[in-house]
Amino acid sequence: MSLKLTLKKKPSVPVEAESICPDVMEGLDLKQIAALPLHHGNEQVTVGDFFKVTGKSNGEIRLEGDTSRFKMVGDSMSRGRILIKGSIGQHVGVHMSGGEIIVAKNASDWVGPEMSGGRIIVKGNAGHMVGCAYRGGQVGVTGGEIIVHGNAGNEIGNTMRDGLIAIGGNSGDFTGVGMLAGTVIVLGKMGWRNGAAMKRGTIVSMEDAEMLPTFTYACSYRPNFLRLYLRHLRDAGLPIKDAWINGSYHRWSGDSIALNRGEALIFDR
Amino acid sequence: MSAATETKTEANTKTVENATCTFCGCLCDDMVLTVDVDAHKITKAKNACVLGKALFLSHEEEDRPFALIDGKPATLKEGVEEAAQILTNARFPMFYGMSDTTCEAQRQNVALVDMVGGTIDSTTSVCHGPTGMALQGVGESTATLGEIKNRADLVIYWGGNPAESLPRHFARYAVTAKGMYTPRRKKDRTIVNVDVRRTKSTPVADIFIQVKIGADFELLWALRALVKGRKVAPDIEKRTGVSLETMQDLVERMKNCRYGVLFFGMGLSMTRGRHFNAAAILSLASDLNEYTHFIATPMRGHGNVSGADMVVSWQTGYPFAVNFSRGYPKFNPGEFTATDMFARGDADAGLILAADPGSNFSQYAIDHMKKIPMIVLDPKLTHTAKLAKVAITTSHYGINTGGTAYRSDGVPIELRPCLESKYPSDEEVIRAIYKRVEQLLKAKKKTKSANNKRRKAA
Ligand code: SF4
Repeated sequence: MSLKLTLKKKPSVPVEAESICPDVMEGLDLKQIAALPLHHGNEQVTVGDFFKVTGKSNGEIRLEGDTSRFKMVGDSMSRGRILIKGSIGQHVGVHMSGGEIIVAKNASDWVGPEMSGGRIIVKGNAGHMVGCAYRGGQVGVTGGEIIVHGNAGNEIGNTMRDGLIAIGGNSGDFTGVGMLAGTVIVLGKMGWRNGAAMKRGTIVSMEDAEMLPTFTYACSYRPNFLRLYLRHLRDAGLPIKDAWINGSYHRWSGDSIALNRGEALIFDR
Repeated sequence: MSAATETKTEANTKTVENATCTFCGCLCDDMVLTVDVDAHKITKAKNACVLGKALFLSHEEEDRPFALIDGKPATLKEGVEEAAQILTNARFPMFYGMSDTTCEAQRQNVALVDMVGGTIDSTTSVCHGPTGMALQGVGESTATLGEIKNRADLVIYWGGNPAESLPRHFARYAVTAKGMYTPRRKKDRTIVNVDVRRTKSTPVADIFIQVKIGADFELLWALRALVKGRKVAPDIEKRTGVSLETMQDLVERMKNCRYGVLFFGMGLSMTRGRHFNAAAILSLASDLNEYTHFIATPMRGHGNVSGADMVVSWQTGYPFAVNFSRGYPKFNPGEFTATDMFARGDADAGLILAADPGSNFSQYAIDHMKKIPMIVLDPKLTHTAKLAKVAITTSHYGINTGGTAYRSDGVPIELRPCLESKYPSDEEVIRAIYKRVEQLLKAKKKTKSANNKRRKAA
């Protein structure tokens, strides 16, 4: 049986909830868990003030109720699992290095910023800045996986160095901006100016995309590695078509302003 | 800058020299104001442009109550008390504005937000905030306007219309000003204007480049590629509306000038792409430093919006969108910017100092502002003041109140007030609120610890 946190009352302002994390809660009894701190605006409260705590802590945490105002859930998590039944607030899985977070509905902005390992699955939509660096940071995600079934906003994978980000729907502007390496796959349509200033890395889209004037067309081919990636995403529950697995892709290289070692693969047929 | 001198000419008039106009980011400090002391009016504003004249000559102290609580007149003390109560009880208060006030008031405002554990943001976030974010990412090659006046021989205005928003920019700094190495004024300079349409600023330009709406980033990116000697996609003219020859000509001019400057406006920082547009133009200037001396600098609109950046950076380490909920400063535009915090319904109270978000924020944000207790400090009954729980009338900075303001290039300039006012300055009101909140917080802490003790004993 896992640990269950059921929301008792909705917060009036956002709550910073980095205590809701397997690393923190593991081995504690229910009373100790209820006494862990949360930050309701400028006021320090406890987990017990907002949640009914039941079950047993065994590395898996279930969050029930509308938790869309709870920020930083799973901060620096390295193991275990968080199952979120509703929507979740900003910074979910920030600096995460292992384990798994599954969000049944939507996630707000900053999903898994600067994460280095583990996996985040969002069944609904995600906001802006999925898998990015914080402002002022030089390097974003360095490992792990983020899979969003719905749409996502701007700057997906900003300056990511490694790992995989997959978006089932559409993504906003500047997808994969400043990428250093890693893979971003968008099954829907990307916004404007994708891959601007990218040094290395791969951006894949199944729909047409307008490339920046500093990207050059290379060829059309069937990249082998992509089949593996797409099969993996199909196993993870994304609706991957056979045509995409077997199809050929236009390869664009860029960004020539940076190193020109990045690539954008746009599905051809 | 010589010292201000006040000369009483006749019995009832006086002249204030070297006064500063706070209407726009030019912050001209060469005003000569003639004041009719009896009528309590400014009758002449020598050296001021149309906008500056409008500011000074139409200045009239409105006869408003010192404070309004729920729209009803109240005393200053009652206003301060109500404001302090709101802030003491708030969990996530938003402090916004600060563009039309002195650095001294801004500084007190930061102290207050720090004490109550709120969030602070200035009007920067709706003008050149993205530029601030870009600076953090790519750095900046910059100079003061004085240096530009003396040295620049290639001046590029991009996405801004200084002829209407900063009227004396041309004459004082960059086009017709006489500089040390540009003695023949405009003859010694090449002026380029890049914009999506012709504006009132276009006629001063030797070269006008019209870029398609929403293609500034692509054009800047292509220019960067050309500067670096890289290829550019052949469909570039179709995408940007600018031919490759025009771009190449501009690049040659930029590489071969003695001292170049890119002035950019909100046409870049507030259109789609925002901080990336700003980063692109700042990077272009950096790239050009391989060949010559080049700088890029934003054209700031409001009087002391630069000061807000300076003061908030100096006090917290970050320029805007800073949160103190946890007792230490956290910076995150998008999360802690006022428009976003109001639109998402996050803030549970607001303090608006010398700005009017009620007139320019999104409807979502305004709807939320109507639901929460708002405190407004402003000389005028603004849109925001009308929807506020507490509106405190303050004096005009620059006219009634002295202090410091920062010009758009980061040069601090002293203000020289010329008229007295019966209303308190922003700084005085913020200080009074600070004092009262301090007392209330102490009392709150005491009762809290007493309650805890009682609970433990039970
Ligand atoms: S340019 Fe700006 S600061 Fe100078 S006088 Fe005109 S409005 Fe005032």
